[in-house]
Amino acid sequence: MKISIQDISKRYNKDKYALKDFSLTIETGILGLLGPNGAGKSTLMKIIATISQPTSGTIELDGTNIQKDPDHIRKVLGYLPQDFGVYANLNAYEFLEYIAAMKGVGGSGLRKRVEALLEGVNLTESAKLPIGTYSGGMKQRIGIAQALLNDPKVLIFDEPTVGLDPEERMRFRNLISDLAQTSIIILSSHIVSDIETIADEVAIMQGGTLITTGTQAAVIKQVDGKVFEVLLENSALSDFKSKNLVVNTSRQNDKVLARYISNHPAPGSTPSPASLEDAYLFLTHNNN
Amino acid sequence: MGEFYQIVVSDYKQRTRSYAFLVTLAISLYFAYSFVPLPNAEYTTVRAGNYIGVQNSAWLGYVTAMMCSIFLSMIGFYLINSGIKKDTDTGVGMIIATTSVSNFKYLLAKTVSNFLVLLSIAATAFLMSIGLFLIRHAGYPFQVSQFVLPYLIITLPSLFFVSALAVVAEVFLYRYTILMNIGYFFLFTFIVSQQLFIAPALDVFGVKPVTVALHETVKQHYDSTNNEVSMGYIFGHRNPRSTFVFNGITWTAAIIGARLLYMFGSLLLVLASSRFFHRFDIKQRFKSKTRKKLSAIIAPVQPLHDIKLSELPAITPAYGIAPFIKTELLMLIRKGPRWLWLINLGGMVALAVAPLSIAHQMILPGLWFLQVARWSDLATKEKTNRIHYFSYASYKPLTRLLPAQILAGIILALALASPLLVRCLIGGYLSAGLNIIMGGIFIVLFAVAAGMLSGGKKLFEILFFLATYVNLEKAPVADYFGGMNGGTAYTVLIAGCIGLLAVMSFMLRKFELSRI
Repeated sequence: MKISIQDISKRYNKDKYALKDFSLTIETGILGLLGPNGAGKSTLMKIIATISQPTSGTIELDGTNIQKDPDHIRKVLGYLPQDFGVYANLNAYEFLEYIAAMKGVGGSGLRKRVEALLEGVNLTESAKLPIGTYSGGMKQRIGIAQALLNDPKVLIFDEPTVGLDPEERMRFRNLISDLAQTSIIILSSHIVSDIETIADEVAIMQGGTLITTGTQAAVIKQVDGKVFEVLLENSALSDFKSKNLVVNTSRQNDKVLARYISNHPAPGSTPSPASLEDAYLFLTHNNN
Repeated sequence: MGEFYQIVVSDYKQRTRSYAFLVTLAISLYFAYSFVPLPNAEYTTVRAGNYIGVQNSAWLGYVTAMMCSIFLSMIGFYLINSGIKKDTDTGVGMIIATTSVSNFKYLLAKTVSNFLVLLSIAATAFLMSIGLFLIRHAGYPFQVSQFVLPYLIITLPSLFFVSALAVVAEVFLYRYTILMNIGYFFLFTFIVSQQLFIAPALDVFGVKPVTVALHETVKQHYDSTNNEVSMGYIFGHRNPRSTFVFNGITWTAAIIGARLLYMFGSLLLVLASSRFFHRFDIKQRFKSKTRKKLSAIIAPVQPLHDIKLSELPAITPAYGIAPFIKTELLMLIRKGPRWLWLINLGGMVALAVAPLSIAHQMILPGLWFLQVARWSDLATKEKTNRIHYFSYASYKPLTRLLPAQILAGIILALALASPLLVRCLIGGYLSAGLNIIMGGIFIVLFAVAAGMLSGGKKLFEILFFLATYVNLEKAPVADYFGGMNGGTAYTVLIAGCIGLLAVMSFMLRKFELSRI
């Protein structure tokens, strides 16, 4: 299975682009989308999910243009939007069966599948209560369950871990790792560690364009040998920040340990292994 | 004062930048134009017996001001009665609740904002009345005070009262919008029906001094016993030669004082309601049993289990729309308080036992109007509930989901009308039965099209209210269900409207799907 994105642009007005000449090929496995707010991640996901139309460019799923034939991807799509809602008067069973009807799936196994999914997201006990009574985390679980209703081959998760606690996040990562064996999974998150632990490939976006893409190792390699740590006086931190890209600071007694990225390390610095977060911050900073 | 001003201005901008406002403005302009009919028109709006005024400044100014006072009080309430709800839905209210803005200041700002919205519409009606005077050019002198004073003294206090009433209604009935909408309909209908007999102190719309003056003027000019003043769109029954000269009234301190008292009373209402305002501390209401059950469940939320997709029960393709219709019907039925279904059942019983003409002309439109909140967001609820991310990415949303929503709405309309339909069938009134079925289809499609056109439910609510009121007044112009009209031409006309609305609905949804 392969999604080919060719020169996609989404223009809002003459000078404002949400996406500009974006090209990428996505194959089975997990693609992590990283980028600051306004980078175009959600727009790209909406276009792939056929909710939004690009101004120009094409997207193909296994050779079929999904703008011309959106139902080709819709049949195999599981989509969890960033900011979705629910019908407050329906209970979890009713809501999931409604979504199943939307996706065009049914049959005798549907009820059992809904029950299994509700058990999986641990909502069985509250499944007969109106969804309007659910907490934010419970609604997010309903969102995850609906994305899996139709045996999806393309899964798009936009900020899926919002509202989930650390243990739930870990379970979610396990879940999509399992799914990635047979499906294309596109995942966006502000939490780099969520991407770092599960994504096979990473795409870093900024200002509607693709800065870099590749395996995690390939992306991290771009900052190899440029990450350092140095112990500074409190008073020197501000000046140091103005001259270097400081990615993290931590207090150590009456001093500050600064982690930074530079081609020219400051005196007293020690090299540190690069992480995906370092690469992300370095690349988006350089692209500004 | 700065924060008060900011709330008013922001709220006003937010509301006037909506399609519902623009459409209401356009409708108001049309009605403002019709407030003073031409001498050879087939209807009158204000008349004293068989007499109408000549088209001088006073007649145009007073008649449009009075009609505007009543008309805007009628539809304006529906346009402005969700200012607080908007703040609740958007979360802005939570931010306001954490500021030093007092309850009274906030509610007063909402009242003023409501008032400004209605004032904007009244201003266009005012300009229209002057424009009509200049265009018709009947040879009478232009007297600006005959336009300004009636609007200032009659219309503005009424609009301020309605603005305050909308805020008070939101404070007390914020969980019962259906009750608010329907309750106002009956309140308004009652007040208007009593308008000509009411004591001056209860003259909400401020028209009593003028109707008394009209009555007296006609009495002086003509020795006629038939000089009772009537207001509203009255078709036929008038002699075009019977005119009189109306030169306005003397605005006494008592009249002005009474109108100011209404505005002051409105402020007192807002002040009193501020003591009960929830200040956005709104909790989901449950019946005690559900709440108990829920607290037991929510407290120990368990983490996600491991889900193996490959081990989940298999599903098969199912592209029918029956599950949609079932769920849409379920949502229609569950919407609103349960006791409303008792009233619906009462209405259905009345349809079964009342004289046929009353059941068809009066009870059916009333019963259907009770469903206004169920139908008003039939095709817009995806967006307001942010479900459209799912539905617009679903399999064939245009040809599956939208027809299901329309069908569910029609099923509800026809189920409610079923006792009357059965009577028509038994009595052999097949044409009347057909008109009722088409009326049900028409009103549902109208709700869908108006919702998608305006992007919300307000437009439909306002127009449905207007149509129901006009129907209960037995004016045939808004008869969509064959209560007063009949014959092949009428049936063809409604069928054409249905076709047009259906095409419009599908085109609008197609446009929505391409523009999200």
